[in-house]
Parts: sequence; C-alpha cells; structure tokens
Amino acid sequence: MSPAMEIKLSRASRVYRPSVEPLEGKIIVKSTSSVSHYGIRLTVNGSVSMKVRGGSAGIIESLVGAVKPITIVSKSIEVKPSGKIASGTTEIPFSMMIRQSGDDNHERFYETFHGANISIQYLLTADVMRGYLHKPLSTTMEFIVESDKAELLERPVSPEMVIFYITQDTQKHPLLPELKAGGFRVTGRIPTLCSLSDPISGELVVETSVVPIQSIDVHLLRIESILSGERIVTETSLVQSTQIADGDVCRNMTLPIYVILPRLLTCPTSLAGPFSIEFKASIVITFESQLSKTHPKSDPRTPRLWMAMETLPLELIRTR
Amino acid sequence: MEFRARDYKAESEAHALPRKRADGDPLSAPAVDIVEDKGEEFFDPLREPNSNVVGSLDTEDDIGHPSVVVSTEVPGQENAKREWTSFKRFLMQRFPVSKMVSISAMSDGILRSGKGYEKLSMSTDPDELDDSQKFSEEGIRSIARQEYISRLKEFKEKFADAWQSGDRVTSLKLAIKVAKLLTDTSVGQFYPTLFVLATDIMEMLGDMVWERVKQKAEYAEDGTFLCSLPASFRADDVGLDAKETCNNWFCKIGSVKELLPRIYLELALLPCWRFLVDQPIDSIQRLVMMARGVADPLACSYCRLYIARCAQKLPSVDTGMIHLVSIASSGLRKLLESAVVEFGLGNTEAHGSNPSISIIVHNLIKELPVDMVNSKTIDIINLIECCNDYTLDQCLNYRLLGFRLSESKYSLHIVTVVDRVIRVVSQKDMLDEYLKVVDAYVDLIFQNHMDDHLVKILDGISKRICNKGMVGDELACLQSILVKLLSHFKNLEDIFSLNHFLEILDMMYGRSRMIVNMHILDKATRGGLICDPTTIQLLFEVSQALNDSIDQVNVRDEDLQQPARMISRFIDKVSYGADRERHLAFLVECRRAFGSTNELKETLVHSSNSLAVKALIERKNHLDFLKSCIAFSEVTISSVTALVRQLKLYLETAEVALLGGLVSHSDGLVQSAISCMQSVDLVDVSRGPTDADETLNFLQKICGFLIILPGNPEKGAVYTPKSLFALLNSQSWMTPRMRARICCAMISLSATLSQKNLPYHASKSGIPSNDILFYGNSAYFGELVSFSEEVVRKLVDAIKQEPSPVARGSMALEACNCIALSFKVS
Repeated sequence: MSPAMEIKLSRASRVYRPSVEPLEGKIIVKSTSSVSHYGIRLTVNGSVSMKVRGGSAGIIESLVGAVKPITIVSKSIEVKPSGKIASGTTEIPFSMMIRQSGDDNHERFYETFHGANISIQYLLTADVMRGYLHKPLSTTMEFIVESDKAELLERPVSPEMVIFYITQDTQKHPLLPELKAGGFRVTGRIPTLCSLSDPISGELVVETSVVPIQSIDVHLLRIESILSGERIVTETSLVQSTQIADGDVCRNMTLPIYVILPRLLTCPTSLAGPFSIEFKASIVITFESQLSKTHPKSDPRTPRLWMAMETLPLELIRTR
Repeated sequence: MEFRARDYKAESEAHALPRKRADGDPLSAPAVDIVEDKGEEFFDPLREPNSNVVGSLDTEDDIGHPSVVVSTEVPGQENAKREWTSFKRFLMQRFPVSKMVSISAMSDGILRSGKGYEKLSMSTDPDELDDSQKFSEEGIRSIARQEYISRLKEFKEKFADAWQSGDRVTSLKLAIKVAKLLTDTSVGQFYPTLFVLATDIMEMLGDMVWERVKQKAEYAEDGTFLCSLPASFRADDVGLDAKETCNNWFCKIGSVKELLPRIYLELALLPCWRFLVDQPIDSIQRLVMMARGVADPLACSYCRLYIARCAQKLPSVDTGMIHLVSIASSGLRKLLESAVVEFGLGNTEAHGSNPSISIIVHNLIKELPVDMVNSKTIDIINLIECCNDYTLDQCLNYRLLGFRLSESKYSLHIVTVVDRVIRVVSQKDMLDEYLKVVDAYVDLIFQNHMDDHLVKILDGISKRICNKGMVGDELACLQSILVKLLSHFKNLEDIFSLNHFLEILDMMYGRSRMIVNMHILDKATRGGLICDPTTIQLLFEVSQALNDSIDQVNVRDEDLQQPARMISRFIDKVSYGADRERHLAFLVECRRAFGSTNELKETLVHSSNSLAVKALIERKNHLDFLKSCIAFSEVTISSVTALVRQLKLYLETAEVALLGGLVSHSDGLVQSAISCMQSVDLVDVSRGPTDADETLNFLQKICGFLIILPGNPEKGAVYTPKSLFALLNSQSWMTPRMRARICCAMISLSATLSQKNLPYHASKSGIPSNDILFYGNSAYFGELVSFSEEVVRKLVDAIKQEPSPVARGSMALEACNCIALSFKVS
C-alpha cells in the first residue's frame, strides 16, 4: 500500500490572517512501511483567477476564455530535510509565515472569494520528494484568508440604512395593467454598508397592494468586473435568495429583513485595478398572476410584468 | 239503637304504650368518621390530553429520540417537555385523517423521497434542494396517509443514519426537505400530524447539533477533555472552535431560501444560540416577527405554536411576557400562547402598528393562570390602558381583569388596581361601560373594605342613570351589582341607608328589578322579626313592586310562586310588637296591595288569626280586637278562590273564634264553610284525587271540631251535623268510599256527643261545652239517635254502591268497626 498523506490545519475553520499570524498545522503521513525521502516541502499559492465568458466579452476573449491570473503569493519552504519517515502514523507539525513584513512587492492579500467569474483562492500543497523510483506524495488543501484585523479601519459598526419605497411608479419595466391601476406600496429600510460577520438586517412593510402578493424576496447579487484588455467586462449574478414574505401578508405589519451573508461567496467589496467585486441587494415583490405560472422558473433578476423590484448597492466590509 | 258509653280517659290509659326513659337520642347520628371524598377531578378532554389514550396513529416510537441523549433541556423545563409530548399526541388524535392526503406541488419532496435520497446523498449541489420547484403541474395530487407517514419515518431514519455516519450535509438537506413539507397546507386535516412528525425531526436535528457543539466545547479535537460546561453556561465559556461550528450551522440554515422552512430550522437550533450569545431571547423576537411573513393562517399558527414551544427551551425566557409561555399550561391554550408571544415580544412596536391588540389582550387575561394575573396585575393594567382599538371595547378588558382578580383570595396590588380602574371608569360617561366595569370590581371593593369607592360608584351610577335611562344590558349589569351589594351587607338597614341605593332601585324595572327585589326580600326574611317601621314600609313597597311586576312581566307559573312566597315570608316576619292594631292595619294594607294573589291572602288570614291568638293570650281589651281580626279573616277568606284552602281557613278561623269565646262567630264560620261547599260547582271539585281527599279530610276534621262547638240551641243541637249530612246527599260527585268515610265520622260524632264526658274541650274559652249543655237531655239523645240511624242507613247504601268487591269488603269492615265502637250491642 502506498503511503497516504494529508494536511491538517490548526483551525477547523481554515481561516487565517496572513500578515499577523502564521499558517499552522501538521502533515500526517500514514504508511505501512518506512518512507525515505529527499525532503518535505510546503508551498503556498494564492491567486486571482478570472474568466470572461458569454456575449459580454469580445470574440477573442470568449475564445480565450480566461484572463491571465494574478498571483498574490507563491512561497515554498522545506519542512523537513531529506530523511526517513517511520512506518505507522507520522505527524509533522509546521508553522509558516506567509507574508513577511518586508515583502512589499507582493500583491495585496485579497480575501478568499468564490465567484462566478472571479475566484480568489489560496492553496497549501505538501510534497514529499522520493526520487525516481517512487511517485512523489502530494496533497493540496485550500485555506481561507480574511483581512488582517490590524489593517482594518475602525469603522463605525452602525450600518448606514437607506429607506426605500417600491410603488407602481418606481418601476422602470412594464407592469400588469391591474398592478398599474390598482397600485401598491412597499416601504422599508435596508443597510447599504454591512459587515460580513453580521446579517443584513432591515425591515419591510407592505402598506398597500390591490393585487395579492405571492412572495417577497431579497436577492443578494454580486457584480464582478474584469479588466480585459482595454475593456471592462461586468457581469451580475445571483448569490443567494432569501424569502421575506410567503403569500399575501398582512398590510402595515413590519417584516424583518434578516439575511446571513454566505461565506466564501461573499468578500469585502474590492475595487482593485484589474478586477472589482461589488454587491447589491435587490428586493423583489412577486404578485399573484396567472401569467407567472407560465414562466415557472425564471431568473429572478429579469423584470417581469408581475414583479416589482428595487435594487440597492451594498458595500460589504470586514470589521474587527 | 243505643250509644255505647265510653270512658275516654281510662281507654287512653289502657291503650297507651308503656313509656321508658331512653339513654341516648335514637335520632342522633352515630359518630362515624366521614372520609372526605376527593371526587373525580373535572376532566376536559379538549384541554388536557389524556396520555393513556392510544391514538389512531401509532406514535409511540415517534416521540422521543432513541439515539440521542437529550440535554438541551434547561433544568426545570422537563415539565414543558412532557407537556409538549402529550400535546403532540393529542394533536394527532384530535385530527383523524382520511385515508388519502391531498398534496400540492409544494409537497413534491415526499413523492420522490425514495429515489430522491439517492440523488441527494450523491450530490452536494445546493440547487438540488430547489428542484421541488420544478414541479410545475397544476392541481392537487394525493397520497395515502399511511404512505406519507411511512415516508416521513423513512426520512427520519435516513436522517439519523446520515448523521451517525458523519454525513451531516445529507442530514441537513433531509431536514430542510422535511421542513419544506410544512409549507403545504393543502393537506388539510393531515397538517397537525405532519407538524408533529416534522417537528420531531426538527427537534432531533436540534439535539444533535447541540450535542455536537457541546462536545466541541468540552473536548479538544484529539478527544482530550477540556472543560465541562455548566448548565447555565455563558457564551464566553464556549471555545472558538465550538462557536465556529455553531455559527456555521446558522449560516447553513440562513441560506435556505424559503421563509417557513428557514424559521423552523432556526427554531430547531434555537437553544444553540446560547453558545454564541448571552441573550438568545433576541432571536425569538426576530423569529416571531419573521413568522409574520408567513401569510397562510394555518401554517403561520402552527409556526407560532412551535415558536412558543421552542422558546420554552431557552433558560432566560422569564423576562417579560414570554414567561407566560413557560408557565401557562397545556393543550389548546398553546395556540393562544403563540399569539401571546407575538404580542408580548413585539410589545413596543406592536402598540403603534398593530391595531388589533385588544382582543389578544382579552384572551390573554382570560387564559392566564390566576397567580399570574395577580403577580402581573400592574403590567396587565398598563397594557389595557394603552390598547384601545376597534377589536374589543376597552372596558371589557377592565371587566375581565376584575373578574380574574376576584378569583383569588388575595392580591398584592389590589388597592392600587381598584383605585386606578375606578379613576379610569369615572371618566366614562356611558352608563353601559360604567356598569360593566364596576360590576367586576364590586366584590373586590367589598373584600378589601374600600367603602369610599362604594359611595363613589353608587353616586356614579345614579348620575348616569339620571342622564339617560336604562336598557336591557345595563339593567342586567346593574342587577348583578345590586345583588352583590345585597349579599355583602349583613344588615338590610345599612343598605337602605346607602346614598342613592333606593333611588337607583326605583329607576330599575322589569325582570331585573323583580330579581333585585326578591333578593332584598330574601335578605330581609332570613333574619329575625322585622320591627323597624321604616324598613317595614320600604319592604312593603318593594313587595308591592314585586307583586306588580308579577302582573307585568310575563312569567311562568313557577316563577310566579317564588315572589309570592317571598312576600308571604316577609308578612310573616313583620312585627309591631304590642301594637297589634297597627299590625292589623298593616295586614289590611297588604290585602289591598296583594289582593290579587291567593297565596298571599292565605298568609294574611293566618297572620290575622295568629294576631288574634296572641291578643287572646294577653287577655286585655281583646274582645273588640278579636272581633276585628275575625272580621278581617272572614272577609279575606271569602275572596280566596281555591275551595279547599278556603275551607281550611274557615275552619281555622272558626277555631280561633271559639277559642276567643265567640261561639256565634264560630258557628257562622262553620256554616259559611258548609254553604261554601254546597255552592261548589260539581265540575270544580271533581278535579282530582287530592282535592277530593282534602275535602274528605276537611269534612272529617269539621266533625271533630263540632264536638267542642256548642250546639245551636235555637236551631237544634244537631243542626250543623245535619246540614253536613245534607251536603252528602247533594254532592253527587262523591265516591262511595268517601261517603262511607264521612258517614263513619258522623256516627262517631254522634256517639261522642252522647257521652257524659267529652274527650276534649275548647280550653280557656269559658264557654259551656256540649256535655254540660245537653247531657241528660232526652230530646237531645233522641235527636242524636235518630240522626245516627239515618246515617247508618246511608252508610249501608254507600257500601252497597261500591262496585269493587274488595273495596266493598274493606269499607264494610271499616263501617262495622265504627258501628261496634259507637253502639251498644243489643
């Protein structure tokens, strides 16, 4: 049986803040026989990978598909010089400072983000070199980077709330005649600045609506922009939907908006040179309509005759 | 024929039983230990689900989680848990389901559960969870109930298996799927069952996550023991790793799109908030508000019910209104509690925006346990004060509070509360509102001796009635207040002397007034004699009003009797002491007032007779007074319409007259009675056996009375017995048995009158009795004998007329007995 290797990080959450703390953990090798090697190395690779797809990009880009990734960090250390690993389970602890205070030539350590077109990923790879006769052992694991607390501004925690109101007159797209004629009014408050560790919390009141409401949802949208050559390619996609009202709810009753931000799928709003990641919150009211049944599953962002919406920018930040 | 001579004295001595002193009273009950019987407790099947009943569904194994040690319970919450368990069982039994359950597209998950699971376990794509939405077919499908249940059980097993094997993602996905089923209320009657089964799985998830996080907090990754969390741990006691895990769970649940399943899942994990924050109560508050977003009333009610249940699991829920949830007991009340949660927690905000709080407050006050009402009185009254909306009249809440407070013996803040309520209510101009509230507090005012409030209330009532009369409801309310007032005071005079009492009473009318009047009379006649002339006058007026109301109000016969009886009792209790003339004048007044009621006239005759006897006993200047009494009685009797009563009253008055030595009056009265019988319409008397029996009794009794009534020397000594005998001939309705009995009585009368010494005399009257007047007078004897012969003949005729041989035999025997006693054997 060939030896098995895995990396176990010191934190179950795998969240690290690179400039203030080392990446710690252990390499675990399980083997029925002893393994001689030419050294055990650990490599950290962090990069921003971007792809441009679809009609929004030019023909060439769409053919190429991907923009050259940006390397954030690439660093390798030797954990153990050449030697022998005894049979059984061997644990090799390690501690690795990913970023030295002197290293200024590196890119900023963006937070981990798994988007549709942009992906910011940090990988840790352990390699055991075993010469020509044996296959080298290798294992890779992703760890998550969050901004260093020291780098964060002490921002006011109180979120900036914006008051919104949605009526038949605020809609830019055509509405069902009965909606236009009967009218509706939904008001509320929602933050435009929100800490990633807090839920988006606001409130919403259905003041009037002649047509019964089917559902009210809050959609979390991400806007990924990529500098591709001379052009900026922007795409908006849905991250998460959260239903606030199910059915024709009571009028004039305050309904809480409470949306927990999903991890990995969100990160602090970043406006870097070659790319930017932004977020928006969209409040969508779906009214009951026979028509909607003929379009059972459509992209919630598409304006429809039986829907009303309000989209507001949402700046996400990392707070202490 | 010859009468047998009798020595009554010797006979009675010879026949008397020997008498002996007894050691103990044979009638007094022997000392027996009476064991207090506890009695069966009242059992309300709607409220207290009986845990012994086996339901239509086999739920035994469903309830309780075999594999997980439950430790989410905070100490002291065991009760709540047991209650919940029995409540769930009750829910399932309460709503039996038909064989088929109809489901809509939303329940698609249940239809595909078999293969769906395979897919789920393979894939971790979150979109997979949404594919029940692909179900686009319109219309309702149905599934067998048993199949639905077994699918749910299957879910549960798979859920537990997945968890055991460490596949928590699958477990969570299954739980989400189950929670989503709760969105479909088209299952109708099956919903409660679905709710129970689904929340079972929710609780299982909750317990498992709790255990897992707890373990993370207590043990390091390599299994070394770190610390043991105390029962009342704080968020600071929990390590980062455990917090991280817990937070992760909440994040995962937060990503569920649909509102209702998200709420249920967070409720399942609710106790886990304790690992993260010290105030998990805030989450409840948010969840309660989130539940408003569920528009379906059924789904929403059950969701709130579950919120109430889950709130019980938190240790710090004793703040504010939510405390109610943990102490209020069982059953259907829970549904209300869930409303309370909404209202209690949304307190600050609700007052502004929720216009229908009054009705909730009302039900809240109604359902709260008494001790709770007592301890939270001030809060409750604050609450009532600030909610005044169209759903319920505010005064009804005040009223209910009053009644609830009266349920217990003692309350801490009672004085403050009553003061406040009275202050508030005194600002209400409407009589109706005023009475409704006051009615509930009268008892409290009495119990706590707040007499100045009583004065205020009466003043308030009278002022409001003066402004604007009274109608139905108000009368009923006022009646209740006055009755309470009557039962509180010991002394009627004290009540009459209350400011405005009589004034208020005067303004009442109809049935309510009648009832109050009856209570007044009842009160008056329960004590001793009524001597105070003012009181008598007031009571007389009350009686008069009552009597009049009998005519006005359309009452049934039995209703009518009671007031008459009350007035009778009052007349009986009246006493003017030595001033008998005044008393008689009172009776005259009564006759004028109550002349329409037979029963009362009877009472008046009795009263006047007893007045006469009292005067007789005192023996001073009594003759004139006696005559007035007899005259009063005689006149009164003649207007009594019931024959038998009339006869009895005649006889009674005749006895009194004889006692007073007024022989001719007495004789006259007896004659009146006889002529009264003669004039009786045939149909009238033959009404029933009782009347016939009573008439027979009367005739026998009059025979007894004739022994002491001196014979009329002018008309002949046996004039009266003869006129009695003549009656026998004229009354064709009499049965042979009656005739025979009357004949026997007359034979005995004649035989007795022939004796030297009569067996009894009219004592004290000083008038000569028949034996003194006539004994030895041969003409008298002759008359008696010839009369007896005539009677015996009649007797024989009567016996012969009896058709039944058995009855005839016994009648003959009776007759022989009588004849043998009365006559000498020749």
